[in-house]
Amino acid sequence: MAVILIVEDDMFIRELTEMLIQDWGHLTFSAGDADEALSLLRSPQHIDLLFTDINLKGVVLGGCDLAHQSVKLRPQLRVLYTTGNFVTDGMKAEFVEGMHCLRKPYTPNQLQHSFEDLLAA
Amino acid sequence: MSDNVRREKAVYDIVASDIVETVPSALIVLDRNLNITSANRAFYQTFRTSADETEGCHIYDLGNRQWDIPSLRTLLESVIPHRASVEGFEVEHDFPTIGRRTMLVNARKIFRPGDHDGFILLAIEDVSEERAARAESKRNLQVTQSIVDTIRDPLVVLEHDMTIVTASKAFLTIFGITEAETHGRRVFELGQHQWDVPALRHLMEKVLPENKPIEDFEIEDDFPGLGRRVFNLNARKISQPGNHTSRMLLVFEDITDRKQRERDALSLTNEISHRIKNNLQVIVGLIAYEARSTAQPFVQGYKAMQARIAAIAQLYDLISQSSHGRTIAVDAYLREIAKTMSASLLGNASDIEIKVKAESLDIDPDRAVPFGLLVNELATNAIKHAFPDGKGRVVLSVEQVGDQIELTVADDGVGMKDKDAAKTPEKRGSDYVAIFVRQLGGTILSPPSEGTGTIVRIRIPLLLVPSGTPSP
Repeated sequence: MAVILIVEDDMFIRELTEMLIQDWGHLTFSAGDADEALSLLRSPQHIDLLFTDINLKGVVLGGCDLAHQSVKLRPQLRVLYTTGNFVTDGMKAEFVEGMHCLRKPYTPNQLQHSFEDLLAA
Repeated sequence: MSDNVRREKAVYDIVASDIVETVPSALIVLDRNLNITSANRAFYQTFRTSADETEGCHIYDLGNRQWDIPSLRTLLESVIPHRASVEGFEVEHDFPTIGRRTMLVNARKIFRPGDHDGFILLAIEDVSEERAARAESKRNLQVTQSIVDTIRDPLVVLEHDMTIVTASKAFLTIFGITEAETHGRRVFELGQHQWDVPALRHLMEKVLPENKPIEDFEIEDDFPGLGRRVFNLNARKISQPGNHTSRMLLVFEDITDRKQRERDALSLTNEISHRIKNNLQVIVGLIAYEARSTAQPFVQGYKAMQARIAAIAQLYDLISQSSHGRTIAVDAYLREIAKTMSASLLGNASDIEIKVKAESLDIDPDRAVPFGLLVNELATNAIKHAFPDGKGRVVLSVEQVGDQIELTVADDGVGMKDKDAAKTPEKRGSDYVAIFVRQLGGTILSPPSEGTGTIVRIRIPLLLVPSGTPSP
């Protein structure tokens, strides 16, 4: 079992995703924006993986900024990005090194594979 | 005259005449009365005359008085008497025998030992061709400058060392520079050194020696009085026929507005894509939610539905990445499909690999989606059923066969038994394959009888055209 923090500004997607992840036996926390996510990351709560949308409430690379701040707070944290936009080279350059990105719409299988890959690394 | 003086004069005459005959310039010697005492071979050749016609003749009487030139008179009668030598005196005249000529005359008064009157040595160099070339070059420069000034895009002409030869009016106006400020300055030193970009310098240094033009080098910067602008730089070697020197033409195209339109369009496309993908994510999520409370035998169908929705969305992304404008590069498209399928179905640790062997071909965007879905369906079937031990290879290939295109999806797995085809999920997959093939106007070829694994070959009639073929 891993502890996963989901950051997604679309509430419906966030809750459905949380439900799926819980079905796989993981513990989840969720946030609708970067500030909410950061206050969780500043708390003593153990978190293994941050799963964040890149475009957060209209902030184009909001998820990328969040990931950098989160890894600064918790260097061991794994990050999985997701986006409905084209993943450009400029966007990839903003990723925390060694982390993955899942393009929307992703299937539950793809999400599960990505978690397994990142948590095993 | 003593014997010594006479001997010295004789030796002097021999040496002097040898020198005079070897010098390439036309030489004539005049006595104090301006009578010609001698001339050299170069003089006779240049002015098409002979020693008989020349020697003893008064300079002004020579060749029907064609040497009676006012400027020469000035030299001989007013300048020479007061000076020991004159250099670079220019005489322009229409000679009846040789036409209009420009002569450069050097004159020197020479005194032989014992001879107090002395004589005048005139060295005459025909500089007509050089002067004509200089005038032509000046005219060309004026024409070039007028062309340069009529072009709306700012441009400069540069020497080998990148110093500015000329700058167009548009260049001076747009960048707020005076003509005097450009003279002798290198283009990199202008303004706030906006053009001093190492990558541009590197390219510019190759334009003249390697005749390698620069195409569309983009520079974005803040320009005084202009604000933030984007310029496209193009440079090429220019040389004049018959002239060995070459220069560089550097043109600056202001693409700020076009760039902004492109950025706006991209931003809008991204916004639309973001919304569509989120909506598709909601649909995939809804299916996942339904699948939670569905009996196990039907879960596979829900999963296949999710995978197909994801595949369609990803195909649209791939199409926009592989697009050549009006066509899609099939080779790049297939490679992207393979990469996406590996990431989504196999993961990093898998021993199943997807290879692509594709000729450089294009397909029209209308057929790209069914083509991609067809490949997706066939390759997904191979990955799911061909490798029970989780190890093997799927090869996606496309080649042109006559006026048709052959798509092959081959695996080295366990092969398909007839009874497998009757099972429900695979049967449905096969139905989809048949629909996509019909949509593409193609046919499924019968599989080869020998070899292991499964090979599916599909021929599509001329939906694809070779890369580089102009679109109608």
